[in-house]
Amino acid sequence: MHMSKPVYTPPPHLKEEATVSNAMRDVMIALIPIVLVAVYFFGLPALFTIVVCLAAAALTELIFRKAMSKKPALNDYSALLTGLLVALLFPATTPWWEAALATFIAVGIVKELMGGLGWNRFNPALLGRVSVFLIPGLYAWINTQFAGLQPAFGSVDVVTQATPLAMMHQGMELPSYLQLFLANPGGAMGEVSPLALLLGGAFLVYKKHINWKLPAVIIGVVLLLSLVLMPVTGVDPLQYILTGGLFLGAIFMATDWVTSPITAKGKIIFGICIGVLIVVFRGIGPVEGVAFAILIMNAFVPLIERATKHPSFSDPKPAPAGAEK
Amino acid sequence: MEVKTFQGGAHIPHYKVYTEAKPIEKLADPPEVIIPLSQHLGAPNKPLVKEGDKVKVGQKIGDSDEYISAPVHASISGTVKAVEPRLIYTGGEAECVVIEADGGPHEFSPEENRDPEKMSKEELIEAIREAGLVGMGGAAFPTHANINQKKDIDTLLLNGAECEPFLTCDHRVMVEQAEKLVAGAEIIMRCIGATKCFIGIEVNKPDAIKAVEEKISDKKGFEVVPLEVKYPQGFKSHLIKAVTGRDVPRGARSADLGCIVRNVGTTIAAYEAAAYGKPLIERVLTVSGPEVPKPGNYLVKVGAPVYHILQECRVDDLENSKVVLGGPMTGLAQIDLNTSIVKSTTGIVVLPPEMVEEEITYKDCVRCGKCVEHCPMWLYPNEISIYTEAEDYEAAQEWDLDDCIECGICAYICPSYRPIVHFVQRAKADIQKMQKK
Repeated sequence: MHMSKPVYTPPPHLKEEATVSNAMRDVMIALIPIVLVAVYFFGLPALFTIVVCLAAAALTELIFRKAMSKKPALNDYSALLTGLLVALLFPATTPWWEAALATFIAVGIVKELMGGLGWNRFNPALLGRVSVFLIPGLYAWINTQFAGLQPAFGSVDVVTQATPLAMMHQGMELPSYLQLFLANPGGAMGEVSPLALLLGGAFLVYKKHINWKLPAVIIGVVLLLSLVLMPVTGVDPLQYILTGGLFLGAIFMATDWVTSPITAKGKIIFGICIGVLIVVFRGIGPVEGVAFAILIMNAFVPLIERATKHPSFSDPKPAPAGAEK
Repeated sequence: MEVKTFQGGAHIPHYKVYTEAKPIEKLADPPEVIIPLSQHLGAPNKPLVKEGDKVKVGQKIGDSDEYISAPVHASISGTVKAVEPRLIYTGGEAECVVIEADGGPHEFSPEENRDPEKMSKEELIEAIREAGLVGMGGAAFPTHANINQKKDIDTLLLNGAECEPFLTCDHRVMVEQAEKLVAGAEIIMRCIGATKCFIGIEVNKPDAIKAVEEKISDKKGFEVVPLEVKYPQGFKSHLIKAVTGRDVPRGARSADLGCIVRNVGTTIAAYEAAAYGKPLIERVLTVSGPEVPKPGNYLVKVGAPVYHILQECRVDDLENSKVVLGGPMTGLAQIDLNTSIVKSTTGIVVLPPEMVEEEITYKDCVRCGKCVEHCPMWLYPNEISIYTEAEDYEAAQEWDLDDCIECGICAYICPSYRPIVHFVQRAKADIQKMQKK
């Protein structure tokens, strides 16, 4: 009998098929509903901003990885996902260079320079987006340089309605709950439809990429606090949670694998703190607090993980919450 | 039916369909056997034969004066061709006795006029030692040392979980030899002074549960405990925790917890050793794989070469395939098919090219947390993998590297394809080397 030599690898010899690329791809699939709603409302400018961010993300990753002599990693979809998320954090009418610069900062600085996917401490899309506020001078300068380069989209009417949160601050009358929940244009593209975001979230929970408890805790805490504070603020709690970036942040940003705690208990603490911070920031001023709330808590993740570390099976104590039954 | 289990672990496809209904068959005897002199955990054996000696089946060919050891026996009759270091299944070399078969017969003839009921505890333990019994589920600890305890033991736990994918030999043994299993359990219970015997069986083996339940219906103190089908249910600590509810602290032996765990195959071998003085010269193992032409549960001589077993199962093309000794989660891939099976080999699994990753290209940890969620030891394989990869063993040990049982779930589940078990094994080996210095 002649037998060719079999293959050697260390155990285990079975492998579940889940891959990082598939997970990232699934998150992009989960964003399709909100992208469709945004394109429906804002038309060509929305599509244009998204394409600009995707292209900027891909290009940035290629350049940075090349510069650091690393293999390109576009096939893990993480750069593209960051690009898409950055786009959704901007209004459709945002100048393209502004969105592109935010994407460049997100992918290039917040992710690749920190060591690449897995090593970034802060959510890249969020930190890229808020760089507009953190380094306004840079954006102002770029704006003056590029001012003539914004393409005109013919007669397409871009809705330039005030965001519901701003309306709330100005004491304007808000649309009905149902309309707010289904779709209400205004603000960033990713904020227009809590329903579309929930659909995407449900898909991610079904695919076991995210734990439903984290977004539920964030939204629940915000709802609860706004209910308690209603006598003082006079703000309707349901309107409060259905507006702004709460659903986008809770479902797609706070649940980011890399920048959220690994422990089940840690996720709950992380969520509670984010909820509280969102209410605090929204109370302070008109700037949307979701992004800052999540980014601040990103910094606390190692601390939360240390504090919630469960003992080994060999240290007989109660089993960790969240271990599969 | 109440189904017991532990917290953590994972549901892994079990691929048992190829062989679970196949009755045990005797495999044709090999033309030669390569018997590693030491097949147990403990002191190494010295050879009792030399090149050119004629040996008979069942004859002792290696033994040690040390207590923690188990002798080895000729599994076929023939001539000793060599006593020399040979490549063994672990990938290293070890002293082996190579026996060339003569015309046979190669069957062991049972000693008559033995009655385990009339044997004292000491005689039973001696018979088990002389038969060279070791844990046949993979641990290979000498059985006589395990069942000779000064501590109070109230419980014997028979491990019929068989949680590794593909393997069905314990399953078939329970279905077909339940009576011997119960008789073996009674012998071990007498040795350790236990009054209770639990037989833990995963519920994907209903026929085994039924067969064993029938045989214990009139026995006092026996109980079948149905277990959830979940990997690694058959690991000792997890079996103890699931069945008895007792915690298994670091460093504790099962005897410290008042119980002794035995694999079902070992238990039957204990009966055969006591009742007819039969040494451990053959065992039932599973040969399986999606493309194995003749998969099955075979009674195979200890020392039978892997190539011989695969030939008998009509396996001929191994291009880009993997040959695993043991189960696919913890077993070892073989490159050279001249290695042989030992007392603790539970199976040979042939994985076809579709199931083989030739080269592991892995990525950085993305902190998805799946390994933490599923680790049966409740560890943080993510942290352990990062620190062991960087060879920062001190940090890895702070994350309880030493508690890792290398079950393989983390590496199985990791979306970044990180070879976590490989890192852990390398780290443990390096640490051992450093401690020896």
